[in-house]
Amino acid sequence: MQRAEVLEIMNHVLDKRGRTRLSNEDQTTREANFRSLDFSEVALRIEAKIGRELVFDAATMRRIETIKDVLDFFETVTKS
Amino acid sequence: MVDIKSENLVKFNDRALTWQELTKYGQDRLGCTERFRGTRLIFAVSSEIDALSAFATGISADLDFGILDQSRINDALRAHLKDQAVQIIEYSDSSELREICIGSEVIPGRISVLTSGTTGLPKLIAHNIESLNTFERVRELDPNCWFLPYQAGSYAWYQMIALSLFVSGQDLAPGSSNDLVQSFDDSLSSRIVTAISSTPTFWRQVLMTIDPQKLLNAPIRTITLGGEIVDQAILDRLKYIFPRANIRHIYASSEAGAAIVVTDGRAGFDAALLDSRPERPIAVRIVDGRLQVRSRYGNTEAKNEWIETGDLVEQCGDRILFCGRTNNQLINVGGQKAYPALIEAHLLTHPDVVWARVTAKRAPMVGYLPSAEIVLNKAAGNLDAERHLTLFCAGNMPEYAIPRIWHFLDSVPINTSLKS
Repeated sequence: MQRAEVLEIMNHVLDKRGRTRLSNEDQTTREANFRSLDFSEVALRIEAKIGRELVFDAATMRRIETIKDVLDFFETVTKS
Repeated sequence: MVDIKSENLVKFNDRALTWQELTKYGQDRLGCTERFRGTRLIFAVSSEIDALSAFATGISADLDFGILDQSRINDALRAHLKDQAVQIIEYSDSSELREICIGSEVIPGRISVLTSGTTGLPKLIAHNIESLNTFERVRELDPNCWFLPYQAGSYAWYQMIALSLFVSGQDLAPGSSNDLVQSFDDSLSSRIVTAISSTPTFWRQVLMTIDPQKLLNAPIRTITLGGEIVDQAILDRLKYIFPRANIRHIYASSEAGAAIVVTDGRAGFDAALLDSRPERPIAVRIVDGRLQVRSRYGNTEAKNEWIETGDLVEQCGDRILFCGRTNNQLINVGGQKAYPALIEAHLLTHPDVVWARVTAKRAPMVGYLPSAEIVLNKAAGNLDAERHLTLFCAGNMPEYAIPRIWHFLDSVPINTSLKS
């Protein structure tokens, strides 16, 4: 899935909760107020869009700190 | 023997018959009822007049019987009843008994209530006239004509039949199962109906379909709700439309019988009712967050023992609120527990939400997320509903309980038990 598409889904999740849209990939997820439940919802929406379940690697997940990491993560797992 | 109000009327589309006339109608249809004495029976019926006349005849002959809508019969149910030595009699063609079941224990006066069977095959719950007559404590009731929306043979249907059989001045107007809301609309047009017992889901359909002005002008004096969790939003809405009506909600089940009647216009019931003293005819208690009932109106096999209802409840101040069923109504969101019934209750307080159902959706990382199905009223227009309702939930429930996935439906889904 294209990075821009993932970003749009993330912004949709934030937007409907009245939070600020993402503008800077270097922001940490905490600074962007992007929480674990938001991450799970984004993953669920991506799964629905691509029609298959995503595979999550715990070690990779633990390294996620910034919005860029989240985008990289989803870009990678949707390709594999 | 219970005193039957044989002069009360049942008003069908084309005629009105007293219970006395319905009994005669059934006797003519069935012929000699002596031939049924050695068998536990279920009368399969395909019309309201058949259902009501079969019931009237069954109790007048003191048979061991029940009523079942023909549409519910399939091979699995047929085999299930045969295993229990219960004979299905086609009411419209009962000239002879075929394939007689052997070995059934016959108890004259037993009335078999079949559960809806939503979680498997229906169960046969044993009642009798005494356990179904929960109206013996009703001293006076204004004369009414009750719209009867329930499917023949359900516990709620028997309750309405018992009301008309045992309480003076309580007539019935059966609805058409082909289109219940339309037949309710028609009965409002003819202004014959003054009372209705139904489910919140039925009312949500009515509120979406029938002209609001017509409802405001309807001569409805008594409204009874039950069969599902009765939320504050539907109580408030009905009170607004029918300000002079006597609105009550009843907690009842085919196994526990009618147990709690709430008349104060608030959802749930008063915590003061939690009283398990043995001398109380109806007692309720909470064990491990589940409601238990001991009622003289429970099924006859319960022998006045405590019955586990399977309903989850929670005490909020002086009120006991229903949170859903034990088997399917808890969403585990990353270890946190979200109750669909409480989320639905909040969503239903939104003026544009007609109906809501919240379920668990499997989700990566956290296990499950709440997912909502919603029916909006027509006035909602182009509202950005997902964003709007998400913000409506924020601050009123924990973050993990706010639905993440939303589906917007065109109409209220409703099953034959008038539930959704």
